Amino acid sequence: MSQAASSSSTSQSSSQAPEVYSGPRLEAVNLSKRYEDGALALDKVSFKVNPGEIYAMLGGNGAGKTTTINLFLNFIEPSEGEARIDGIVAHKDPLAAKQKLAYVSENVMLYPNFTAIQNLDFFAKLGGKTDYSKDDYRAVLLRVGLQEAAHNKRLKGFSKGMRQKCGIAIAILKDAPAILLDEPTSGLDPSAGREFIRLLTDLRSEGKAILMSTHDIFRAKEVADTIGIMNQGVLVMERAAADLKGENLEKLYVQYMAGHAGSEQNVETIN
Amino acid sequence: MFKIILDKELKEIIGTTKFAITFGVCAVLILLAFYVGARSYQSSMEGYNASVTENMRQMEGVTDWANIDHRIILPPQPLAALVSGVSNDIGRTVNMDVRGELRPEGSRFNEDPIFAVFRFLDLEFIFAIVLSLFAILFGYDAINGEKERGTLALSFANSIPRDQYILGKIVGSFLALIIPLMIPILIGCLMLPLLGVPMNADSWLRLGMVILTGTLYFGVFLTLSVFISTLTQRSSTSFLILVVAWIFAVLIIPRTSVLAAGRIVDVASVDEIDFEKGKYSAQLFNENMAAMQSWTQQNYQSDHRLMMEGMQAFRTEQQDLQDENMRLFVEQLNEQRANSSNLRTKVAFSLARISPTASFSLAASDLAFTSMELRASYQEAASAYQQEFAAFMRSKNVDFGGEAYVGHGAPVVVEEPEPIDTRELPLFAYEQPPASEAINDSLPDLGLLFMFNAFFFAGAFVRFNRYDVR
Repeated sequence: MSQAASSSSTSQSSSQAPEVYSGPRLEAVNLSKRYEDGALALDKVSFKVNPGEIYAMLGGNGAGKTTTINLFLNFIEPSEGEARIDGIVAHKDPLAAKQKLAYVSENVMLYPNFTAIQNLDFFAKLGGKTDYSKDDYRAVLLRVGLQEAAHNKRLKGFSKGMRQKCGIAIAILKDAPAILLDEPTSGLDPSAGREFIRLLTDLRSEGKAILMSTHDIFRAKEVADTIGIMNQGVLVMERAAADLKGENLEKLYVQYMAGHAGSEQNVETIN
Repeated sequence: MFKIILDKELKEIIGTTKFAITFGVCAVLILLAFYVGARSYQSSMEGYNASVTENMRQMEGVTDWANIDHRIILPPQPLAALVSGVSNDIGRTVNMDVRGELRPEGSRFNEDPIFAVFRFLDLEFIFAIVLSLFAILFGYDAINGEKERGTLALSFANSIPRDQYILGKIVGSFLALIIPLMIPILIGCLMLPLLGVPMNADSWLRLGMVILTGTLYFGVFLTLSVFISTLTQRSSTSFLILVVAWIFAVLIIPRTSVLAAGRIVDVASVDEIDFEKGKYSAQLFNENMAAMQSWTQQNYQSDHRLMMEGMQAFRTEQQDLQDENMRLFVEQLNEQRANSSNLRTKVAFSLARISPTASFSLAASDLAFTSMELRASYQEAASAYQQEFAAFMRSKNVDFGGEAYVGHGAPVVVEEPEPIDTRELPLFAYEQPPASEAINDSLPDLGLLFMFNAFFFAGAFVRFNRYDVR
């Protein structure tokens, strides 16, 4: 699988300009989004995710986490600012930007009448990877913890955890330098959650830049390199996870959510 | 990218239980339609042959051509087995007369009204009703269903051009649905000659065009479904809209158009025309009688024989004048009725063509030659035959006078008259116009169906480019 992935990735990069990008894989620069009804969903949010880094974005419902991810995916266009992937501005060149991006949604819902392998095959091809074999798909499914007996079963019988594993497998197969995870551990049992954390650390060690939106403070603290807290569209705190080791993150989270809401000057940054 | 989406559509649709069930039902219906159509053709052909034989048998032993009761019968059209059109509603038998109006009588539904209750299960019905629903069933959630499942967002997390995606969806769905449906249709086509329906090159061409028209019609509902699914966020909403659109297109618009045309253009009924004819005939009779009385008063002679001869000559002259006046009056009435009836038909069809179902039905019946053109063409052929028949009767010295001819027979006195030889009668051989003419007639409707496809396709294309995939 890795051979196929690397060959495909090489052929892609060789067809593009040989310029080597050395900046952050994911970067939000004054990213704002105001919807047509006037609601401000995101207000001048800026952050970076470097290669080999996991950025956990915490926040309550409506905090702007998913909006941020949607802006990186160019599902919506920013009112102001830019979402950059490997230096490419998402809303200016979305097709090029998305080549550098893999995405796992909160509730992975694949094609229910396709088997796990058929789903992987389709999405891998959509991601531009056309030379994977069935063995490659089996290998990646085993890597994400999906038992072999389920590989050729239709998705309609799969639990949420199993579908989530397929979603992660699809992201792995795309072999993109940046990965966006929208509430990936939501609804997973503790064992599947642990398995997921192991996978994330593996991907980080491969140099992937991972942006993860989550409610799960403990998993965020466990795996993230940087933690950002969002409230009402504002990034109210951003700290290196290492700096938070001695602190009670849950207390900090509640404190920020309650007292520092919408206050830009209270944003703490690691930079 | 297009090919990847297309492959996925083919696999996704064909692999579902929904497809297996609906395809199974459609396949059975299509094969049944071909079988029932072929059997119906056989039965119509048997009926036709029996009528022709009976017509000849009735004339056997008749010694005077003036006493024959000759009928011509419209032979069944081979493709009426698949697109019945108006073929079962129009009169097929014409009692031949040497002059006067010819009225086709004895339609199949008139003879066997039970068949008119639920009509026939023919290929046109299957395309118009069943396959259009089939298209909706598989297209209503083409885009919003993907959104509801979350697969649209996951797909567009990849660098996919939207135009290729929507093109792949539409073409993929179309091929996934139409190719399997072609299998029972092709089997049905092969069954036709085996079941005794005579298919020549002309008939095959017509049938091929009917299937092509049906495919275009199917495409209209599929592209419409995809278009509606790009206009709505929920598949339940698009399904509801499509069901309403289907009801309007299939059931309401064609029927309402005919009713509206009836309101817009007034066409006298046959009874009204007959009443007018009767009234004018009575008026002519009275005038004739008055003229006769006047003539009698003015030309009274004591020589009774001379007076009778003069009166006979005047009466014949008057009768000829009355006949001519009546003929002109009837012609005028018929022409007026035909003109307004044609106008009404044009208005009705123009209005009905808002619906793709009407366009399809009109094109299919034109191609199968079971449209209203069949009635006009048969009437024309019967009139042409009437001339031939009249010439033949004259050659047999059969004289006729009055509106319904009264044969006096040749005043040849033979002691033992010979029976007539019915083989001398001119043959009535009805031939439908060539397929090229039918194709020409159907071109406006084919063009409309193509336009419907293009419009809905373009609509889906434009809408999807702005569709919120989240």
